Amino acid sequence: MSMPHWATSRWVLAPLAIAGLVLAWNGYVALNDGGLVEGQVVDASGRPVPDATVILLERHFVMHNERQRTRTDSAGRFRFAGNANHSLQLEAEAAGLGRTERRVVRLWFRAQNMRLAEPLQLAGKLP
Amino acid sequence: MRQRGTFLRHATLVGVSAIMLVPFYWVLKTAVTNENIYAYPPRLLPESPHLFNFVDVWYFIPFPRYLLNSLIVSALVVASNIVFNAMAGYALTKSFAGKRAILLLFLSCMLIPFQATIIPAYLITSKLGLLNSYLGLAFPLLSTIVCIFVFKAAFEAVPQSLVDAARIDGLSEWRVILRVLMPLSKAAIATNVVLAFIWSWNAFLWPLIITREPTMQTLPLGLARFLSYMEDTTGALYAFAVMVLAPSIFVFLMAQKEFIRGLTSGATKG
Repeated sequence: MSMPHWATSRWVLAPLAIAGLVLAWNGYVALNDGGLVEGQVVDASGRPVPDATVILLERHFVMHNERQRTRTDSAGRFRFAGNANHSLQLEAEAAGLGRTERRVVRLWFRAQNMRLAEPLQLAGKLP
Repeated sequence: MRQRGTFLRHATLVGVSAIMLVPFYWVLKTAVTNENIYAYPPRLLPESPHLFNFVDVWYFIPFPRYLLNSLIVSALVVASNIVFNAMAGYALTKSFAGKRAILLLFLSCMLIPFQATIIPAYLITSKLGLLNSYLGLAFPLLSTIVCIFVFKAAFEAVPQSLVDAARIDGLSEWRVILRVLMPLSKAAIATNVVLAFIWSWNAFLWPLIITREPTMQTLPLGLARFLSYMEDTTGALYAFAVMVLAPSIFVFLMAQKEFIRGLTSGATKG
């Protein structure tokens, strides 16, 4: 059985292909929009820093405003839940170890779950 | 010798095409970087390209809403142009009293710029209660004279014997247009689709005047609004321009072959 002529028209196929891509993308977004931001804080020698403060800042047009802050666990790990933005900055500080530079984090969609590939590194060293 | 001539001709055409595509390339290059467009010397290749400017555009302004508005208005304009222009074009292929005067009226109306008629157009739209509505946004472009002539030329190119045969078979005037003339005028339809879509998609002044709420604004208005919000982010601005342009380019590429055939048919016949 041959396909009807209209079914092979580019006016049907191209919009269908675009619709398929949009649906697939939305499916991926729905599965990955938990708003989790995870990472680790280390000192200058790469050792995990427990009890460091990590600040999450959200972008609003040209400004970045603080949205959440949390503390790292014994392995230097931190986790933010409920992020609803797509353009963030992360900053960490610990007593006696100084403060990291702000790390720009760009997400592909709002509330995308993400884990920092590189840890936030403080300038000081743990004793 | 002949092959050499063809090669030279093609090489020249490729060169000219490349020069004409430079502005598009520059827009695209700036959209995927955050480069300063006034930097000297300018970079030919993008440095650290990324697509996050497009994400910024999507979220910092209600882009999906503007996109939906533009799509609805353009769909209305394209559909009405095909229907109304085909009807008008068919009428103009007939002989009737005052046809010459109507043709002259159409041609003279083409000389008047839209800006000159915008106040009466606004008053009429207001009287009809169509301000701040999709139909109101589409209103001035529901039928366009250029596209009427494209249909007229295409219908006149169809052999009269075919139309006569359809009439003998008992088809009404409406069915002659729908069943005989329209299927033979695909180039004219494509020309109507492309022109109506691009005109409606790029319209700025009319939507600016008749929209009252931000939720009714279309993409060109969104672009102006975005510019006022984020004037220091060239990359995001160019990304917005690319996102506004992309659907028009898509429609043009889809209908390119028929569009060019439709225009040349309109230029040489009728």
